[in-house]
Amino acid sequence: MERIEKFIDNLPSMDLMRSEKMTLVQLIIPVESAHRAISYLGELGLLQFRDLNSEKSPFQRTFVNQVKRCGEMSRKLRFFKDQISKAGLLSSVHPVVEPDLELEELEIQLAEHEHELIEMNANSEKLQQTYNELLEFKLVLQKACGFLLPSNNHAAAEERELRENVFSNNDYVETSSLLEQEMRPADQSGLRFISGIICKSKALRFERMLFRATRGNMLFNQAPADEEIMDPLTGEMVEKTVFVVHFSGEQARTKILKICEAFGAKCYPVPDDISKQRQITREVSSHLSDLETTLDTGIRHRNKALTSIGYHLTQWMSMVRREKAVYDTLNMLNFDVTKKCLVGEGWCPIFAKAQMQEALQRATFDSNSQLGIIFHVMDAVESPPTYFRTNHFTNAYQEIVDAYGVARYQEANPAVYTVITFPFLFAVMFGDWGHGICLLLGALVLIARESRLSTQKLGSFMEMLFGGRYVLLLMSLFSIYCGLIYNEFFSVPFHIFGDSAYKCRDATCSDAQTAGLIKFRDPYPFGVDPSWRGSRSELPFLNSLKMKMSILLGVAQMNLGIIFSYFNARFFCSSLDIRYQFVPQMIFLNSLFGYLSLLIIIKWCTGSQADLYHVMIYMFLSPTDDLGDNELFWGQRGLQIVLLLLALIAVPWMLFPKPFILKKLHSERFQGRTYGLLGTSEFDLDVEPDSARQHHEEFNFSEVFVHQMIHSIEFVLGAVSNTASYLRLWALSLAHSELSTVFYEKVLLLAWGYDSFIIRLIGLAVFAFATAFILLMMETLSAFLHALRLHWVEFQNKFYHGDGYKFKPFSFALITDEDD
Amino acid sequence: MGFLVTTLIFSVVGIIASICSRICCNRGPSANLLHLTLVITATVCCWMMWAIVYIAQMKPLIVPILSEGE
Repeated sequence: MERIEKFIDNLPSMDLMRSEKMTLVQLIIPVESAHRAISYLGELGLLQFRDLNSEKSPFQRTFVNQVKRCGEMSRKLRFFKDQISKAGLLSSVHPVVEPDLELEELEIQLAEHEHELIEMNANSEKLQQTYNELLEFKLVLQKACGFLLPSNNHAAAEERELRENVFSNNDYVETSSLLEQEMRPADQSGLRFISGIICKSKALRFERMLFRATRGNMLFNQAPADEEIMDPLTGEMVEKTVFVVHFSGEQARTKILKICEAFGAKCYPVPDDISKQRQITREVSSHLSDLETTLDTGIRHRNKALTSIGYHLTQWMSMVRREKAVYDTLNMLNFDVTKKCLVGEGWCPIFAKAQMQEALQRATFDSNSQLGIIFHVMDAVESPPTYFRTNHFTNAYQEIVDAYGVARYQEANPAVYTVITFPFLFAVMFGDWGHGICLLLGALVLIARESRLSTQKLGSFMEMLFGGRYVLLLMSLFSIYCGLIYNEFFSVPFHIFGDSAYKCRDATCSDAQTAGLIKFRDPYPFGVDPSWRGSRSELPFLNSLKMKMSILLGVAQMNLGIIFSYFNARFFCSSLDIRYQFVPQMIFLNSLFGYLSLLIIIKWCTGSQADLYHVMIYMFLSPTDDLGDNELFWGQRGLQIVLLLLALIAVPWMLFPKPFILKKLHSERFQGRTYGLLGTSEFDLDVEPDSARQHHEEFNFSEVFVHQMIHSIEFVLGAVSNTASYLRLWALSLAHSELSTVFYEKVLLLAWGYDSFIIRLIGLAVFAFATAFILLMMETLSAFLHALRLHWVEFQNKFYHGDGYKFKPFSFALITDEDD
Repeated sequence: MGFLVTTLIFSVVGIIASICSRICCNRGPSANLLHLTLVITATVCCWMMWAIVYIAQMKPLIVPILSEGE
């Protein structure tokens, strides 16, 4: 025993087994090198800062102004990004990477760019508005000329005025510039008109309203406009209708104008004279083309500015993000009494200490500071964070384990065995080598495209799938193996490993359907004999096989879990746990369910007809009874009585001693300490005021006892329920096999029986869809979930505490892309 | 007899796989131990699966009874 323990202690440590050793460090940084030091530490990415100012609100912190500036800059950058995407430009990275700018320079540049952009935008908006109005005027002119008869009623003066009005309204002034001008009041005929343009959707209501308002004393002509106009609010093109309203009287005119305003119709004056109309149309057209060129130039200028911004945009954004992160971290540090240094605390892994000291030295040197940065190790009371160094491959498994609970500092990591047992249990439930090959192809595709997919932004489902590509690879490989064992290729058995072990009793096979075949040689060398598929006794045989297999696999995994708890107890030097928890747990589990596994194996090896249910149940109910037909080996009765007694002793063994011994140890350790608590509190202040040291010296016996009782009851009852829970391995593999059989026999074979090509094609398509969606997707997810549950609950509750917290270092690489 | 031979084959395959993993990715003693653990676990799992199915068929209590139409 001693030798075994020595051997175990001397084993080299295994990579992923326990989390990295961490240490609490304290940094004392002079102010001038603070920013640089934090940036270099961020690049290194191995220090988790503790927030020493957690009671302060964000506005009370030291560097709040800088953080605000960074926020302002990122707002500007988001604005640029918006503008670039609205303009439809692609952002590309300039091939030449420019040197990093200082933050102040960047701020000034960003402010300039923003100002420029806003100005350009405002100008082009105004231009666009004027352009729209002119365009509408042109359309009105086109259509309205058709309605109006050339009339000689207007004097030349009016025309001149009209022309002047039209000209003077072409400046870039207020929007309401082109409303109807005063028409001459002294109209001989009394019939005047208003021409304008309105949205097509509102035209009908507009006409009706006018009709009602003028009591029918009006003439309404309308025609659809030839072109669509851009609506300034929504930016979409809308169809418009040109209208001309003939009316008489001043009151009618005011009413009509008000109704036009209410409906958003714009009125444009159209001269009566045909030559005038032509002249105005020409002027308007020339103005329009001028405006178009101006607008185009404006847009091109703006796009050029945007492109030049776009070159640097990603670089600037990452810079601003890094600066904000640095200032956020600086906010976590404290000023010391002299206000010349910043004091910070953090967790870092021990292997990184040298790297960090080197980075800090570089920072001192680069910032030309006279004082060095002090970096020393502190004692910590609280438990350090958990940090596992994983690679591409083990990362997914570590995340699977962490999803249930992050490991306590330095406790044994179940991920080590999960790498293999999780895909293995999945495969036990999924076993079909045809489906396994499909999964393998999918996994290989994902792995082959690794470099490309890792830089893209994927949807959440694809991201999960991509993250788990190595898990999928192992799952598929094990599925192929288990499929070969179950002998199922899309539920079809093959004779890959030789002939079947069964044959007919005689040459005519007359009683094959009644008495069945006989076994005439050694069992099929690898896997389930192909003769079983399709026979009437297939299910009884396979069910028995798979149920017993589940029990055997389950007992093996649970024993592994308990052995893990032994390694944990050994590592934390808690012999109490070994003697009063590990040993009784092993005894209890193995004397009952280990014994059951033994019986299963003996029954298989001897071919006895004993009923194991009966044996197990009567082992408890009447252990001294004679076994009769159920006797599997000599001495079974005696052995059963011994095992039952052992199990019965194990229960109080794991329940009672530990709390009492803990109480005794506690009282020994703190004997006489109770007198020392009065009036000596000053002596405790040799530590920093911020790091907490709790003196929790009460031992609550009832709490410990109840905790131990819960733990023991959980284990004892769990032994039964967890073993039964492993039967889901049987259940899911049965379901998979049956689904597969149904799809094969009732879809593919049925369709293949017909001669028609169409029916065969349809059958093949239905089979392919059903296999892909139900078997490959749904069953994969289902088996994945159940394998996960078996690991999280049945395996891990034997040893795992999982109440640690994850190591989150301050690292630039980990700053997520908060793209808003 | 077939049982022992195949068990031997599994163990030989396991040993060869561990040697291969040691040759291909030799990254220091702690990483090597991890790889060795993974290979041995995989070998043991595969062997257990095979052994269970093999032993279950050694002395079966029922035989295949063909259904009609076979």
